Amino acid sequence: MAESKKKRPIIDMDIHERVTYDELLPYLDNPWQRYIKDTNWVQEKHLPYPILGAAGLDRADAKVPDGRPAGNDLSFMQQQLLDDVGHEAGILTGAGDPSPSSMNGWYEMAVALATAYNDWQIENWLEKDDRLYGSVHIAAQDPASAVREIERVGSHPKMVQVLLPIDDRPWGDPYYHPIFEAAERHNLMIGMHHQEPPNYYGKFPRYFVEWHSVMPNTHMIQISSMIFNGVFEKYPNLKLAMIEAGFTYIPAFMKKMDQQYKVLRHEVPWVKRMPSDTVKDHVRVTTQPVDELTKDEFLKFIELMDSDEIVCFSTDYPHWDYDSPFRALPPLGEELEQKIFAENARNLYPKLPTKVGKVTQ
Amino acid sequence: MKEVVCKKEELSPGNIMSTNLGPIPIVLCRTPDGEFYAFTDKCVHQGAAMSEGVVCGAPAPTDTPGEYHYVKEGEILRCPWHGIEYDIKNEGRMLVDPNRKLGNFNVSFEGDDVIVSTRK
Repeated sequence: MAESKKKRPIIDMDIHERVTYDELLPYLDNPWQRYIKDTNWVQEKHLPYPILGAAGLDRADAKVPDGRPAGNDLSFMQQQLLDDVGHEAGILTGAGDPSPSSMNGWYEMAVALATAYNDWQIENWLEKDDRLYGSVHIAAQDPASAVREIERVGSHPKMVQVLLPIDDRPWGDPYYHPIFEAAERHNLMIGMHHQEPPNYYGKFPRYFVEWHSVMPNTHMIQISSMIFNGVFEKYPNLKLAMIEAGFTYIPAFMKKMDQQYKVLRHEVPWVKRMPSDTVKDHVRVTTQPVDELTKDEFLKFIELMDSDEIVCFSTDYPHWDYDSPFRALPPLGEELEQKIFAENARNLYPKLPTKVGKVTQ
Repeated sequence: MKEVVCKKEELSPGNIMSTNLGPIPIVLCRTPDGEFYAFTDKCVHQGAAMSEGVVCGAPAPTDTPGEYHYVKEGEILRCPWHGIEYDIKNEGRMLVDPNRKLGNFNVSFEGDDVIVSTRK
């Protein structure tokens, strides 16, 4: 990339590493390994239309030069993203596709896949680049197993969050609270990233452009579920990272939840605070996919949020709607840029060091 | 500024290549009818290298939902990141906003040499 770059610390909250089922096999015991090998099984994807970027889901230029799919090779990712952009740190948010937590039934296989994925992630990514931090993948539909998996790998120094898909489950349901308790116990935050199906009850709009335009709706469902089910009262050290729906929906949503809370709080007496205050203290959202704003527009949204600590930067590399750290946001002034590009994420994840080292590979 | 960037046969119709005019990264395009076009190798949206993009056609606007007409095969350059489309034969103008376009360069020939030069 030839353009001049403004060097600044960047903590990227959404980088997708990618695994193939073949690569997961060594991390699976039997019968799981045999089930996959004997039948060439891969979990079915549900999207009923293609993603009409230049090359489908991924950046056309992110395919690994040897032909492997984008995100499948650490050295190419280092070259194209981490070194080129100059990342201080990046949070990995890839997963089996769809996530183990999205599997309908066969929870036993979902648990096995999540466990294999975590071991693969640690060995092949987290322990090979000091800049990369990881997400604990779980089969959340089986909370007892999910807690066991958090106990197993959650204390790894480079695991910073438990990742849940934004799917057809509102995660605030007390059924899932043992997961939050385990996460809090290990100083892990909750990251939520959309998977498929993305809309409530798994219904799809007729066109991809509709789906991609309404992603904030599904994020709002999850935030309100967590807040009104009292998750943050119950787990005061837990925070929630909402990844990949932008941030411009937040001010209106804060206003709406506050107004609703004032008149309907009788239904949820365990909620003790104004929802907007809970958002400010516990919820962080990523810039990507960025709404293209002028500086004045951007600052107005920050003003309406009454906080400059909610918005965090992410690229979504290597996906087609990648946001460039150099071009996606308007100039915002040094103080706010430092917060958005690094400090807000650093404050979100207590396991991120204040100073991150360089590549050791 | 003027520079020989390749031989005609090095770029077959319907393809693109990256090259340089002095310090300027260029995407050289050859449409299916054999014509050459040269643009700055940077998407005006977020700066991706257009030479890493794809050459394709595009559905023409229609008045009826559900109706598709695919046109301009080989004449549309799509950004490798967000898929923004530029019309190669219309000065590299963005389909969705023709007021925005890629930077343009002249293409001329001397024998088999393809020459790119800045516009005067």
